Amino acid sequence: MRGSGRRHPRGSAARIGRCDVTLPERAEVIVVGGGIVGLAAALALAEAGAAPLLLEARSFGGAVTGGSLAAIGTHMHGLEEYAVMDEACALWRDLAARTGNPFEYNPQGQIGFLLDADGVEAGERWVADERALGADCRLVTPAELAEIEPNLTGPILGATFAPDTATVNPFLAARTVLSLARAAGASARDHAPVADLLVEAGRVAGVRMENGTEIRAEHVVLASGPWTQDVSARVGIDLPLVPRQAQCLATLRQRPGTIRRIVSAVESGGGVDSGYTQIQQAGSGQILFNTVVGLIETPEGARDRINEVPSGFVLTSIDTLSLLFPSLAGVPLLRSWVRFEAVSPDARFLAGRLPRDGLWICAGDNGSGYCRALMLGRFLAGEITGQPALAPALRAEARALYDPDRFGRAA
Amino acid sequence: MTAERLSCDVAVVGAGPAGLAAASAAATAGASVICLDAFGQPGGQYAMQPTQAGSAFAETSAVLSGQDAAQQAAAAGAKILCGAEVFWGAPVPGGFCLSVNRQGSALAVEARAVVVAAGAMERPLPFPGWTLPGVIGAGAAQRMLKTGSGALPMTGSTVLAGSGPFLLAVAQSFARAGQPLDHFVEMQRPSLTGLTGLFMRHPDRVFEAMRLGRDLRGTGATRHFGHIVTRAIGRDRVEAVEIAPLDGSGRPDMSRTTRIERVGTLAVGYGFQPVIDLTTALGAAHDFDAALGGWHCRADDDGATTIPNLWAAGETLGIGGAAPAQLSGRIAGGAAAAALGFPADDTAEPRKRVRRARAFAAGLAALFPMPRHLPLELPDDELICRCEDIRAGDIATAIAEGAHESFAVKTWTRAGMGPCQGRICGAGVAAALARAGIPSETASYNRAHLPLRPVPLPLVRDAMEAQNQMETRA
Repeated sequence: MRGSGRRHPRGSAARIGRCDVTLPERAEVIVVGGGIVGLAAALALAEAGAAPLLLEARSFGGAVTGGSLAAIGTHMHGLEEYAVMDEACALWRDLAARTGNPFEYNPQGQIGFLLDADGVEAGERWVADERALGADCRLVTPAELAEIEPNLTGPILGATFAPDTATVNPFLAARTVLSLARAAGASARDHAPVADLLVEAGRVAGVRMENGTEIRAEHVVLASGPWTQDVSARVGIDLPLVPRQAQCLATLRQRPGTIRRIVSAVESGGGVDSGYTQIQQAGSGQILFNTVVGLIETPEGARDRINEVPSGFVLTSIDTLSLLFPSLAGVPLLRSWVRFEAVSPDARFLAGRLPRDGLWICAGDNGSGYCRALMLGRFLAGEITGQPALAPALRAEARALYDPDRFGRAA
Repeated sequence: MTAERLSCDVAVVGAGPAGLAAASAAATAGASVICLDAFGQPGGQYAMQPTQAGSAFAETSAVLSGQDAAQQAAAAGAKILCGAEVFWGAPVPGGFCLSVNRQGSALAVEARAVVVAAGAMERPLPFPGWTLPGVIGAGAAQRMLKTGSGALPMTGSTVLAGSGPFLLAVAQSFARAGQPLDHFVEMQRPSLTGLTGLFMRHPDRVFEAMRLGRDLRGTGATRHFGHIVTRAIGRDRVEAVEIAPLDGSGRPDMSRTTRIERVGTLAVGYGFQPVIDLTTALGAAHDFDAALGGWHCRADDDGATTIPNLWAAGETLGIGGAAPAQLSGRIAGGAAAAALGFPADDTAEPRKRVRRARAFAAGLAALFPMPRHLPLELPDDELICRCEDIRAGDIATAIAEGAHESFAVKTWTRAGMGPCQGRICGAGVAAALARAGIPSETASYNRAHLPLRPVPLPLVRDAMEAQNQMETRA
C-alpha cells in the first residue's frame, strides 16, 4: 500500500482481522486506546459533538480493562480525590439506570477486613476521614460481619464497611460504553495499531498506523494504559508512568451469595509497591481473588512478554482466601490472568494537555481506573472541546489533581 | 501438605504412541525419563487399553502395540506415571517444572527438557440439537466400546455421523464390539480417482483401508455418503435425527431431508484438533493449518519448538494418526536427549518414514477436508457454550458489535470461560467467526493459563510452592 505512489482516494483498507474495513483519512479527534478510559473519552467526545475516531491495537477492553476487577467506589482511595470520585461513581450508577444495566452494575458494598491492631487503627482513620467528607462508611464488629458477609469466618478483628461500593462486569461495561459512543457519533476500530504520531510545525497532527496509513486530526488523545509513555516518547515527551504487573485468580462457579461484598484489605498507600487484597464473586458465580504482599517486581519488557501469574502470588492469594473464607479452601481453581497497570508517582491519573499542541493524555490508572473512567472522559472532552460536562468546581479540582505537568515539565 | 517431587532429564507429557516412543528414545540414549499421562493406563486414545476382562479389543493390533510400546519404554528405563494429569508447566532455572494432579495429590516434576505429546481432542461442531442427551462425540462412543462395559448405554438405533477416516475406525470398533450400528453418515463423497491416486502412492495402506471398508459394510449400517446431520430431534433426549444431502456448494439441500426415527445414540465426529494447552502456556509459537486440524505447535524436523529444550511430538504438531505420531515421538525424544549431551541416534530412517506417513495423512485430509464454516444456519437460541449457557445469537451479536478474535468473543460472551475452558465450544466459536469473515488464522487461539484444567486450590498451592522453590533457590 505504501510506496504505490498514489493514495487510495477514499481512505486505505487496513488488514485488521476483518475484511473490508477502511480507515478514514481525517478525524477531528483521535483516541489511541480502546480500554475503558479511551472508550469513555470517545463517548464523552461524541456526546460533545466531536465525532472522535478511536483506534484500538487489538480487541476493545481486552488488555488492562478486561483484567480489572472493576470496583466503583470512593472507599480507601486518595481523600483529596473524594469529590471527583463521588461524581465518578454517580456517573456509573446513572449509566446503569439509563441503559437498563446490561453490564452487571451491582452496588454490593465493600468490606475492608482488619487483621491486626495496626489494621484496626488504619481502618478507624479511614472511616473517620471519609465520614468527615460525607461518605457513607463505618466500622463493623465481627458479630455484625456475620450478617453482612456470613462466610467470612476467618480470624478478623473487625472491618470497615462502605455499603455503596459497586462492581461492574469489566467486559460488558466496556462493550456498553463502546456501543453508546458509536450511537453518539464516534467511530471505533479494533486491531488497528498506531505506530507513531504525525507532527507538523511543532504540532501533533495525527497518527501513523502500523500498516503505514496516516490519519490526520486536530487532537490526539493518548489513552493507551501502560503503553502510553511509549507513544508520547515518539514526540520526545517523557511521561512518569511505569507498568506494574497485576494478576487475578478465579475459582469454579460457586453458589450465588457465597461472597456478597467486595472483600478487600485496607490499602496502606499507593504507588508501585503497594500491597492489596481483593476478593469478590462475579455475576457468573466464580470467585475472583488476588492478594499481593509487597512489591512484585515488574522487569523491563514484562508488559509485552509475561502472561502468567507468578507462583508466589498464587501462594499468597490462596492463603489469604483460605484464611478469610475457610469454607472455600478446597474449591477448584479455574482461571488466572495477568495485566499491567500504568502507575504514576502519586497514584493519580495524568489527564489533560501535554506540552505539545494537539496532544492530550488520559492514563495512569494505578490499578483502579475503571471507577474514574466516565468522569475523566467527561473532564477531558470538556477540556478539548471547550464544552465542559463537569460542574465548574469539579473541573477545577480535576485540573489540579490530574495535571500532567504536576511532576515538573516533561520534555 | 507438600508436593511430591521428582526430577529427570526428559519429561514426556502423554503416553500415547508419540509419548511412549519419545520416552523410549530418550531413555535408550541414557537420559532419565518420566512419562506422564492422565489416563489410568498407557497407550493414549489410539491404543486405549480395555478395562473389562475378555474385551473384544484385547487382541487388536492397536491395543497390543500400546502394551508393546509401554513395555519398551519401561525396559529402556523410562518411568511411566499414569493417572497423572499435568495441569501446569513453567520455566525454572535449568529447565521446567511440571505441576501434576496425581489422583488428587500434587506432584512437581523438574525436568531439563520436556517433550509434549499431548495428542488430539475431538472438534465438536454445533448443529441444531447437538446438546441433547444421547448426542455424543464419535471418540466418546469409541471409548465406551473399548472400555467400561464395552457397550453404549442407550437403547434405540445408533447413528454415526461426521467426516473423516476416523469415522471408519469407529465403525470398525462397533463391528468388533458387536454393537449394532444402524446408520453411517459421511459428509464427503471422496472421489474414486482421489482414493485410487492416494493408495497408488501408498500401497502399504491399502490392506488397512480395505479392512475398514469391509468392517463398515459388516456392521450392516445404512450408508449415507455426501450427507450431514442437520438436526437432532427430541424433547429430553435425542429421539430422531434429520439428515440432508449436500449440494454443489457444500450446503445441505433442505428440500431433500430424511428423518431417521427411534434413535438412541447419535455419535458425531468432524475430526480432531491438536491439544496445544501446555505448549501455548509455555509460550511456544503455533501455526494454523486446516489440513492438520487447525492450530498446532510449530516445530522443526526434530520436534524442537520455538522455546529452548521444549519439544513436541505426535498430534500436538498436527493431526496425522498413530504412524507419524510414533515416528515423530522417536525423533523428538532422541533429539531432546541429544540436546542435553546424550549420544544421538541416527534418525535418517525414521525421518524418511515420518515424511511418508505425513504425506499419507495429508492425502487423506485432502479427501476429507475439515469443514471451515458451519454448513448450517444455527437458530439464535442454539446453545454453543454449555458451561456458561451462551447461545449462537449471543456470539453472532458480539461479533457484529466488535469482537473480532476468539479472545474477544470469549470476553464479551463468556463462551469458553467455564470449566471446559473452551474445549467444547472453541470450534463452534471459530466457525461463527469464520462465517462472519474472520478466518481462524486471524481469529487466533486462546492461550492457556494456570490451570490447564480445574484443580483444587490446596493442590495448586502445593505445586506452586514447589515451583516457587525451584525458581528462587540459589
